[in-house]
Amino acid sequence: MNSTPQTIGEYLDQLRAALAGADPAMIQDALYDAEEHLRSELADNPGMSEAELLAKISGSYGAPEEVAEIYRNQEVTVTRALRPPPRREPSSNPITRFFAVAGDPHAYAAMFYLLLSLATGIFYFTWAIAGIALSMAFALSLVGIPFLILFFGSVRMLSLLEGRIVEGMLGVRMPRRPPYADRDLPLGKRIVAMFTDPRSWSSLFYMLVMLPLGIIYFVLLVVSTAVPVALMAAPFAQAIWRLPVAQIGDIDFYAPAWTWPIEFVVGFLGLFVMLHVARGIGRMHGAVAKSLLVKIAA
Amino acid sequence: MSDTETHLKKFEKELAAGTVSLVLLAVLAAAREPLYGYQIAKRLEQEAGVLAGKQSALYPVLRNLSAAELLDTHVEPSVAGPPRRYYRITPLGRKVLREWIEAWTATRRSVDSIIKT
Repeated sequence: MNSTPQTIGEYLDQLRAALAGADPAMIQDALYDAEEHLRSELADNPGMSEAELLAKISGSYGAPEEVAEIYRNQEVTVTRALRPPPRREPSSNPITRFFAVAGDPHAYAAMFYLLLSLATGIFYFTWAIAGIALSMAFALSLVGIPFLILFFGSVRMLSLLEGRIVEGMLGVRMPRRPPYADRDLPLGKRIVAMFTDPRSWSSLFYMLVMLPLGIIYFVLLVVSTAVPVALMAAPFAQAIWRLPVAQIGDIDFYAPAWTWPIEFVVGFLGLFVMLHVARGIGRMHGAVAKSLLVKIAA
Repeated sequence: MSDTETHLKKFEKELAAGTVSLVLLAVLAAAREPLYGYQIAKRLEQEAGVLAGKQSALYPVLRNLSAAELLDTHVEPSVAGPPRRYYRITPLGRKVLREWIEAWTATRRSVDSIIKT
């Protein structure tokens, strides 16, 4: 504990000493604030001596040690609570918004999701169809019931897994835990609950529709990427290797040189359109996944 | 006695941490002209003992509110010492304040009703 400071300079020195080791930017702020406050207090009480004033200030503003403590704590919590995430407000300018998509990580993640959806779609579809077919085939035998239970259990686990993929890539909040099962219920009741839960059936439906959706997404993404890239490349291909823009039968079609810049620019803009399309489909699919894998049960 | 006091102190500190930015925004929303830190502190001292804590705790919050663009800030030289940093609420700040007041009212209402039962 230091002695009570007699002058503002001493007060600031003690504060600086008390903050030793902290972030230099924070020390600077703390000293600035303290000096501003102390000088204002001084200006407000013209008759008072600096020493008297500083004694009073330890009550209101805080003694140097207290202030240092406050800055150490407050700075941490307040920064965490109030600093907005680095996300900026979407610009009101449509042109800026059009190009800003290139800086949105969700657009790229959605691109990957759409590519991946063909593979996952095939897998889910196969799994669901094989499961349904085998369940029907086994239905008349002894293993029928256990197989059906296992299959439904697998559907629910896959729906959780798909939820993790959707949340990771499309940014839609999905469950992080399997659906709640009441542990107090006897096993038989829990199994029955699994079949009467509409979410099991909607998950199964989701797995089936993922195949057509996956094909559509994949094709849309590949085409909307390939066309702009081709448009951008065509002028170079023609200028350097004399490659035609199109070939129908034996006839080669060449684009006149004045169209080259236009082709390039249109292709370039097309890439942004593709990112918008990917992000848009991603959002839409996120909503579909949420409603089929989560919402129905809620 | 002394051990309930530490609990009380801790609770007061947490309450203040949660409400200080609301109070600061409200003070600046009510002010006609930009205010500097010391004035804001004095105003709070007069109005009520809402913030029993030390006034130095206000400054980091002010700075963060202005970093969040809820407050506008500019520096003016003063006769009595270092230049003073003035704060004024922004339109975004007013919007946020309205939402915070709603949240505060709702919280206060539910806390009150739970305490009474």
